[in-house]
Amino acid sequence: MQDDSGRTRHIWPVEGAARAPFWIFSDPEIYEAEQQKIFRGSVWHFLCLEVDVPNAGDYRTATVGETPVIVTRGDDGVIHGMVNRCAHKGALVCLKKHDNVSRLTCVYHAWTYKLDGSLEAVAFRNGLRGQGGMPEDFDVDQHRLQKLRVTTFCGMVFGTFSEETPSIETYLGPAMTPFIERNLGRPLKVLGTHSQIIHNNWKLYAENLRDAYHATLLHTFYTTFKVNRLDMDGGIMLSEKGWHHISFARRAHLQEDAEYGAAKVHAAKYNSSLAGPELIRAWEEFEDGITHSIQTIFPTMCIQFTLNSLAIRFFAPRGVDVTELNWIFLGYERDTAEQTEMRLIQANLTGAAGLVSLEDGCINEFVQRGTRRSPEAASFMEMGGRGVVSVPASRATEASVRGFWQGYCEIMGFDTQPRAEAAE
Amino acid sequence: MSAAPELLPSTPPQQDLARLRDQIAAFQTTYAYRLDDLDIDSWPSFFLPSGRYVVTTRENVKAGYPLAIVNCINRGMMEDRVRAFRTANIFEPHVYNHLLGPVEIIERAGNRYRTRSNFQIVRIMENGRMDLYATGAYRDLIVVNDAGFKFEERKVVLDSHALDILLVIPL
Repeated sequence: MQDDSGRTRHIWPVEGAARAPFWIFSDPEIYEAEQQKIFRGSVWHFLCLEVDVPNAGDYRTATVGETPVIVTRGDDGVIHGMVNRCAHKGALVCLKKHDNVSRLTCVYHAWTYKLDGSLEAVAFRNGLRGQGGMPEDFDVDQHRLQKLRVTTFCGMVFGTFSEETPSIETYLGPAMTPFIERNLGRPLKVLGTHSQIIHNNWKLYAENLRDAYHATLLHTFYTTFKVNRLDMDGGIMLSEKGWHHISFARRAHLQEDAEYGAAKVHAAKYNSSLAGPELIRAWEEFEDGITHSIQTIFPTMCIQFTLNSLAIRFFAPRGVDVTELNWIFLGYERDTAEQTEMRLIQANLTGAAGLVSLEDGCINEFVQRGTRRSPEAASFMEMGGRGVVSVPASRATEASVRGFWQGYCEIMGFDTQPRAEAAE
Repeated sequence: MSAAPELLPSTPPQQDLARLRDQIAAFQTTYAYRLDDLDIDSWPSFFLPSGRYVVTTRENVKAGYPLAIVNCINRGMMEDRVRAFRTANIFEPHVYNHLLGPVEIIERAGNRYRTRSNFQIVRIMENGRMDLYATGAYRDLIVVNDAGFKFEERKVVLDSHALDILLVIPL
């Protein structure tokens, strides 16, 4: 990009995805370009869950970047996506977070849309008492709520503005889809939600989610309370292009808890110095032994499993240095009451007040404040090398953070291929 | 509640009710001021050993969602939160200023009272920034015995579904 004087700026550091120049987090021009290229680009964005719109006539409002959108379920059961902007004057059409309606009606001039976003009727189309009204050639079929392509995968609803975005299966890739199916591939039950306003650019949170390096360094709850995890075995898997990732920790073994074993709950205890060990009462839910995982889906969501605490986090920019981080805590329809209770208690571990990870609410702000007046400087991310490749047996790597930047730069048009100067 | 709840104020005389309301308000004030002084170590002592402390949102309550942002089902879990605050969790230093509203006594059963009171909390950061951090309702189940007042349950229902930055000091 060029500035007013014609001087070229916004050149990515020669080291490629192993650096993030600090202007990328604070420059309003970059933020504007992202709204177009990332949020309106060839990318699938998480909108809501299918269970958020279970019945015909249900709608749910969301945002893609800063663009307000509506997800509806039509009378035929089909899920539709559209921009929440009346075709007449541009007012928001849906004001609630969710509702059940037969039509979408703009409150301003009562333009009325069907559940698929097509315009059905216009107030005073034929005028009043023969006066006024729309021109003869007015055609409702020429006006509608701007359509979003929507798709679903494992109970999640995604939307995109681009006709070029590949199918969701292709977008996620074969390295990512099986683990999503493991975690979400059965009827879901929402346990509750909340959100956090964090004071940083959205990409710092995207980095933070992919940063396995910081996990045991910033977040010391498990070590402080001597939670004997025996699950230091773990690794990082990247999608084919590096955009998405899975970070996981696998248990060596869990000590069977006789009390819960007898109750056939298959609960297991972790040793700890907790005064309230109920916190980490857990059961072995999957046979692969993975106890902790974070799976990101580019650009702004992840699926987490912390013991049995399943949650979707998705985040949306609210300005160049403000981000809203949404939490949806989940269980499965098949869960017993006791399993639900364990998930609810383990919800103490994450979220805005999460004992294990509440630091993520402030750490990205510390980077924002540290970097905003140093656009010329850049981060240094060479833990685990400079490449963007899976690291199956270690989490001491920043490979997945580099993967994010590789994807980001590809979409934004920055050249991250290490250039000749880098060798010097 | 074990005994059939009898509604106030039909039972005690008005002056007893006023005195009771004062005492409950004093108990709740002490709780809030200890937190404002960052005397977090005393926080679990306001609860019965089997007491519950829950922070949730108006939205979750309305939707019938059981999830809480903080969900301590006994005093041990509260003590762990205190220890985590002191030794494990990392955050920018800050303090609260609680402003409490009047107590409404909703229900009485024996020596237990179900009450509701509103609150507003201003959060003050070390750099001097002050923000309205939280508003909501305390929905309490308070037990009165020889040892004084204790929470059997304190359910904090936040008006907003959004929390600014993080939540580490109890509300």
